[in-house]
Amino acid sequence: MSRNTLSRRSFFTTSGALIAGASFAGPFTVNRAFAEDKPIMIGLTSDASGQYANSGASDRRGMLMAIDEFNANGGVLGRKIETIHIDTETTPATGSRVAERMISREKCGFLVGAVSSGVANAISQVAQKYGVIYLNTNSSSPSESGENCHRVKFVWDGNGTNFAKAAVRNSINQFGNKWLLLTNDYVWGHDTSAATRKLVEEYGGEIIDEILVPQGTRDFSAALLSIQGAKPDVVAAAVGGDDQKALRQQVAQLGMGESPAWINNQQDWPDVYGLPLDNLFGVFGTTWYYKLDLPGVAEFVQRYQAAYPDTSMRVPGNVFYNGYMATRELLGAIERAGTTNNIAVIKQLEGLKMSAKDRMQTYDAYINPDTHQVQQTIYLATANTGTEDKDDMFKILTASSPDEVLDTAADSACKLESYEDTPTFDA
Amino acid sequence: MISLSDISPRSGAWITPQIVVFTVMLLTAPFWLSAVGLYQYLGIEVAIWMIYALGFNLLFGYAGLHSFGHGAYIGVGAYAFGLFQHHVAVSLWGGLLAAIVAAGIAGLLVGALVSHRRGVYFALLTIAWGQVFWFSAIKLHGITGGEDGLLNIPRPPLDLGFARIDLNDNEALYYFAAGALLLTVILLWRIAHAPFGRILQAVRQSETRAAFVGYEVWHFKWAAFVASALLAGLAGGLFAMAQQSAYPDIMSLHQSGLIVMMVLIGGGLVSFWGPVLGVILYFVARDVLGIMTETWLLWYGLMFVVMVMFRPEGIAGALHLVRKRFSSRDGAASSARVEPI
Amino acid sequence: MSTLVPHLFNGLILGLLFALIALGFTLIVGVMEVINLAHGSLFALGAYFALTIIGVGWFDDTAFGQWWLSLPVTPRYTLGLVFGSLLAGLIGMLLELCLRPTHGKAPLYGLLLTFGAALVIEETIRVVWGTGEQSLPLPDAINGAVLLGGMIFAKYKLFAAAFAVVAIGAVWLFLERTPYGAIIKAGAHDSEMVRALGYDLSKLRMLVFGFGSALAGLAGIVMVPIWGMRPHLGVDVVIPAFLIIVLGGVGSFWGAVIAAILVGLAVGLTGAYAPAWAMMSMYILLIAVVTFRARGLFGRKSVLEQ
Repeated sequence: MSRNTLSRRSFFTTSGALIAGASFAGPFTVNRAFAEDKPIMIGLTSDASGQYANSGASDRRGMLMAIDEFNANGGVLGRKIETIHIDTETTPATGSRVAERMISREKCGFLVGAVSSGVANAISQVAQKYGVIYLNTNSSSPSESGENCHRVKFVWDGNGTNFAKAAVRNSINQFGNKWLLLTNDYVWGHDTSAATRKLVEEYGGEIIDEILVPQGTRDFSAALLSIQGAKPDVVAAAVGGDDQKALRQQVAQLGMGESPAWINNQQDWPDVYGLPLDNLFGVFGTTWYYKLDLPGVAEFVQRYQAAYPDTSMRVPGNVFYNGYMATRELLGAIERAGTTNNIAVIKQLEGLKMSAKDRMQTYDAYINPDTHQVQQTIYLATANTGTEDKDDMFKILTASSPDEVLDTAADSACKLESYEDTPTFDA
Repeated sequence: MISLSDISPRSGAWITPQIVVFTVMLLTAPFWLSAVGLYQYLGIEVAIWMIYALGFNLLFGYAGLHSFGHGAYIGVGAYAFGLFQHHVAVSLWGGLLAAIVAAGIAGLLVGALVSHRRGVYFALLTIAWGQVFWFSAIKLHGITGGEDGLLNIPRPPLDLGFARIDLNDNEALYYFAAGALLLTVILLWRIAHAPFGRILQAVRQSETRAAFVGYEVWHFKWAAFVASALLAGLAGGLFAMAQQSAYPDIMSLHQSGLIVMMVLIGGGLVSFWGPVLGVILYFVARDVLGIMTETWLLWYGLMFVVMVMFRPEGIAGALHLVRKRFSSRDGAASSARVEPI
Repeated sequence: MSTLVPHLFNGLILGLLFALIALGFTLIVGVMEVINLAHGSLFALGAYFALTIIGVGWFDDTAFGQWWLSLPVTPRYTLGLVFGSLLAGLIGMLLELCLRPTHGKAPLYGLLLTFGAALVIEETIRVVWGTGEQSLPLPDAINGAVLLGGMIFAKYKLFAAAFAVVAIGAVWLFLERTPYGAIIKAGAHDSEMVRALGYDLSKLRMLVFGFGSALAGLAGIVMVPIWGMRPHLGVDVVIPAFLIIVLGGVGSFWGAVIAAILVGLAVGLTGAYAPAWAMMSMYILLIAVVTFRARGLFGRKSVLEQ
């Protein structure tokens, strides 16, 4: 009996030693050794696997390019910027855990990055708990700046309502007023479709049906058959990521791209780059395009190509752009605040005005201090059939100013935590 | 292959030296966690998963019922806790009770339907039920928040009458979880050495024989199922508190499979403490190796496959054999080998 | 109800494709009495092997690569179809070797091992081919849409269904009309006797496992243009496969085929009325069947019930 007891005790000492050894053994991707000043730690919470893996990678490239540019100029407030990236796997539970780790173990003062709104919500909840500023670069559910807004969170993408406002009225006039909603069954899908529904009804249209497709759907045959049967004038699709790729493929296969008319809300560049052009049916929205005839765009594209010569995506799109812009403005805000105190930086970002030239967009942009969302130009586009250039896939139809596409519901839905309720610290 | 009845000592003492050592390590953890490169939140996760795994092993190791869909019960516990906080009252004990009861009811219902089966049919039924719960959690997004989960779950304070301890700090929550874990360990240790535990092992070894001896076998299988679901519910409630949210992900087949792997690799098939070792190994691997390489899960899976092939006794079994090799004195008492069934 | 007919048709096609998936599964279960939870991953693996053979992304830089990619899609696709499945079969044989140490023990160890193997294969796919959605290039002849009774259907689905019918027929012919098939069936019935008659049982087992896995890979290559292609594709496949053979009865060939069609119809029809719950109908069906009639519609008692 005593022998067994001893053996059990030794299990624990052995295991304890093994664990301690294992933990010390590995070199970590973050180098904390040598900075005269403590470096600024930024956590990159982008998805590297799952439905949004491609967009996540683009997002991260944008963030890294902005950070590299600042580091080349001596960092921020004289401190070098360091990053750590952990894959959030397009899963909210993982996002929550990653945020906890980045804040408590890696001592990240800022978190940047999101494509999936589910993940973004999970991360921002944790970030708000500690007061860590979180930039939601690319997730565009209207609730991000509505009921899920937080004092520490800033949203850099146009949301479903903005895009719907840009698209709906024109489409009713052009195509007809019998609409059908095709909705990805999660937050972004629901909120976007709800926004579309409200707008359609406001402008005199009628929603004849709504079809829900789970995330991770590849077989749209049942949904497409139902659409064929219902014969709407317009189908408003709120389907994202890889699901959207599959949808596009199947709609193209069935030759359904022309009739009914398709409104695809926002179209992320990584989701369509490289697809055959007939997959790019319908009208869709974007916040930026690499061939906009605006100052600074061409040079920006060149910088991208110089920084990332090996990626298969030869030109950047809106996801990269949002990641870059958000990070750049954050670092700029820290410089202007003169401190990394989170409340001071938040105050710099609230109400921030960014010129059109700075943003490489058609209109000036600004951050709404009550919802923390960037109000920016919204472009509507369709497939560009008039060129041999495989990269030049979009034909920009219209550009709407931020005020034309304002998400008016957000102001009342959003209740930011007060400054007092937000823990304050210096990163 | 050695089995659970071989390693466990004959004594039914309430507190054994092993438990003392474990307690000490657990209670001092906040002091040495950062020194070994880990962090407090991970400690909470590990404590919670130990509760989950130990309860699961009652079913997996002791009763020999391989459930691949157990994520359903920890998930139900988490959602129940959250929904209680949102719709009934912000209360710690209320929430945990709701979590335990909800998971217990789920275990009761599913257990009633699966306990008549064994072997592969049992396993696959549990997978199917696990998927049903997972799907439901995703589809019923009016109640559960769907894929985006149930957010804004508060951490209610611990109200002891004379003192009110705020659990918002990770360290405080850790101690609370550790306390729950210790109670679980003591409870399960008693159960495993009570006649109930022995009967479960008898059922594992041969249902026919157990029936001949006079036991209503499926009652015991059902009871083991419910017991493991109750503990999973407790773990789920604590997890909802730690994350301050509840997601359907934990009910997925992938996650349910992970708990099986953790428990087997740790040695749950042969040792009471196997699940504890398995949980530690998994979380350390995930956080340490996972940062260095994206392929860590591949290596973990390979390790599992190799273990099933050659050493299903897991780490605990291997350590036991190593220990035996070094103690060359009479190996009579506890090293009797039992032939595989 | 004219809206019902297209959904029924859709369900029928899905059922035939499910039958193809279940074929490999039922062969392994019937002969080897091992539930191969890695069947889904082998299904995915076959498709990824085919992707590489057709030439997407790998050796674009070499001279050979350039020449290969300049060939029309059809021969590349055919080779991909054939060799992709053969490679999947090879991996299956490797898996069988790994299963050998578990032979004497309870069948649960085989289950655990194939479960672990499924994870390993999936992670390997993720590491080697990446997590993003990919797509298989298809010959133009089977790509595109066709008008049937006023409704648009994808040509590819009809091709896939036809292919499934042919494949099912071929497997049946093999089992019933060739001496090898007879040996396999005998091995399922009484392995002792087969060994006594002088056949190498372990070689037989390995070949059957390989054959079953190759069928899984083949099913994968045929299904991915419909289901999409990502590393975790396998998860959606194993449960329907198991459901089908339990429903149809373990070890029963035609039981599996009929059950597959029933399951396909069930999924197709729920897809019409409650699309969000379509996939779950399979699980509910499994629960109902196993709870109330564990031997399914045509099954015999097997060691799985132990």
